[in-house]
Amino acid sequence: MVLKNLNDLKRIVEGGPRKKLVLAAAQDQQSLGAVVRAWKDNIIEPILIGDKEGIQNICASNNYDITGLRIIHEPDTEMSVEMAVRMVSSKQADILMKGGVGTSMLLKCVLNKEWGLRTGNLLSHFALFEVETYHKVIAVTDVAMNIAPNLKEKIAIVNNSVACLNRLGYSMPKVAVLGAVEMVNENMEATLDAALLSKMNQRDQIKNCIIDGPLAFDNAVSLKSAQQKGIRSEVAGDTDLLLMPDIEVGNVLYKSLVFFAKAKVASIILGALVPIVLTSRSDSEQAKYDSILLSAAACK
Amino acid sequence: MEEKVLALKKKHRIAVAWAQDTNTIGAIHKAVIKGFVEAIMIGKSAEIIKTCKVEGIDEKLFTIINVDNENRASLKAVRLAKKGDADIVMKGLVGTDKFLKAIMDKENGLMLPNAVLSYVGAMEIPSYHKLLFITDPAIIPFPDLDQKIAMAGYATEMARKFGVEKPKIALIGASEKMSRHFENSVDYAIMCKMADRGQIKNCVMDGPLDLFLACDKKSIEIKGVETPVNGDADILLFPSLESCNPFYKGLMLFANGELAGLIRGTEKPVIVMSRSESEKSKYFCIALSCLMA
Repeated sequence: MVLKNLNDLKRIVEGGPRKKLVLAAAQDQQSLGAVVRAWKDNIIEPILIGDKEGIQNICASNNYDITGLRIIHEPDTEMSVEMAVRMVSSKQADILMKGGVGTSMLLKCVLNKEWGLRTGNLLSHFALFEVETYHKVIAVTDVAMNIAPNLKEKIAIVNNSVACLNRLGYSMPKVAVLGAVEMVNENMEATLDAALLSKMNQRDQIKNCIIDGPLAFDNAVSLKSAQQKGIRSEVAGDTDLLLMPDIEVGNVLYKSLVFFAKAKVASIILGALVPIVLTSRSDSEQAKYDSILLSAAACK
Repeated sequence: MEEKVLALKKKHRIAVAWAQDTNTIGAIHKAVIKGFVEAIMIGKSAEIIKTCKVEGIDEKLFTIINVDNENRASLKAVRLAKKGDADIVMKGLVGTDKFLKAIMDKENGLMLPNAVLSYVGAMEIPSYHKLLFITDPAIIPFPDLDQKIAMAGYATEMARKFGVEKPKIALIGASEKMSRHFENSVDYAIMCKMADRGQIKNCVMDGPLDLFLACDKKSIEIKGVETPVNGDADILLFPSLESCNPFYKGLMLFANGELAGLIRGTEKPVIVMSRSESEKSKYFCIALSCLMA
């Protein structure tokens, strides 16, 4: 099954038990807005941890009806994050979401050795875009977390993303390893890693997906351009997941899709015990809502 | 191979450096009689004539150039090829290192500019269903990526001369898996992708593959590895000289294999064989060099 747009994620979530999402440091207007909306749409069952009065004030002034919503009062930001993480590691919640707290503090708690959410896997960022000019949603990784992944880290990033796509219903997602060119060039490290990833995939050392690379951006997403270049590839023109060579390329692609192509985006952190919704303050409320939806769909 | 050479209907001139030994003279004689070779024997003429007499060979079939030491014989042979008076250079009883020094000389040698010097062999193995080309058992100890790419190109070129339009190249390792313990697997993966993208042409390439997956269909079935080489390799590219060399010698010793081989990367074919090689092997090499000339 292929997702045509982000709204298709609802089909995955519908019918199943509602996932419990715990919002750490919940006194944050945009996060609350998205969480309350997702709750009203029956996507999640939220638990809010934070300064109770602050939360209630924000909801009152924005007309968010939170009657019946569970709120745990913890005015200290760090303590509220720790409590949220502990709820997840003790299986009382299925999804962790960042509210009004810095990313570094949240990750510090996620990575805590005693009560954190470590699995031994690398944490990586996974973004799902709905772009009008592409025939389905397209996933991009890693645009926000790993700066300059080496081969071993790229393997981990692909494995995280493929496992997620498998859960979203893609049995064999098509993975394009992005380069500046589709040719192997000894002076371009990304193209060499791409060749290695392809071969490991052929040898079943990276499973449950079809990997091809290097592919330039145009031949990854346009069949016409792949054909013009005479590239024989199962992935070219029909990519489900784009693997970025580094964070600069990824971040610029992410932002240009959003700003120039008016893409809708949902994103989560993978590799921890559960999906983590870790959107930035500059993300729209819609992006936060879609990210919650994605996290619910990506739950085991 | 003999048929293919005769079909060329052309006589190639071979300059043989230090041509005194029985095996070399015997092999050259056979090629001259078959009619595809004109021989220029360089060495101590008295000894060459003596060997011919012992073997019952008419020395008048050869052009003999008298030179009294092996270095000068090598230089003379190379010079003849360089001037266009010979099409092929062959090593006789001279040591390989001395002979190659003359070939590789920057000014007067036979190297193509920027070319990789390497060795390709064609093996006839009774228990394999076709000719098997191998590289490199003799020249490059530990080929790097660029050298491996050149080796694949030379082997492809030779296989195509034998009518194999799109030879299947197996890049040989100890296992088909990618592993950081085997650095060659990294080069292999890169080469496969280059072949996918048309950067390496005229062949089907896969690797790493172990020898079973390269040459034995049954192993493919048992292991369930999907590979375009599919147990039907035409060419084996080895990761090192020390893996390729015992491979061919083992086949010659224990499996009645025959090898004919050539140096590539030179302006004209160069025949280098171990001095202990049989007359038959040397004859095959001469035929092969004519085919590649």
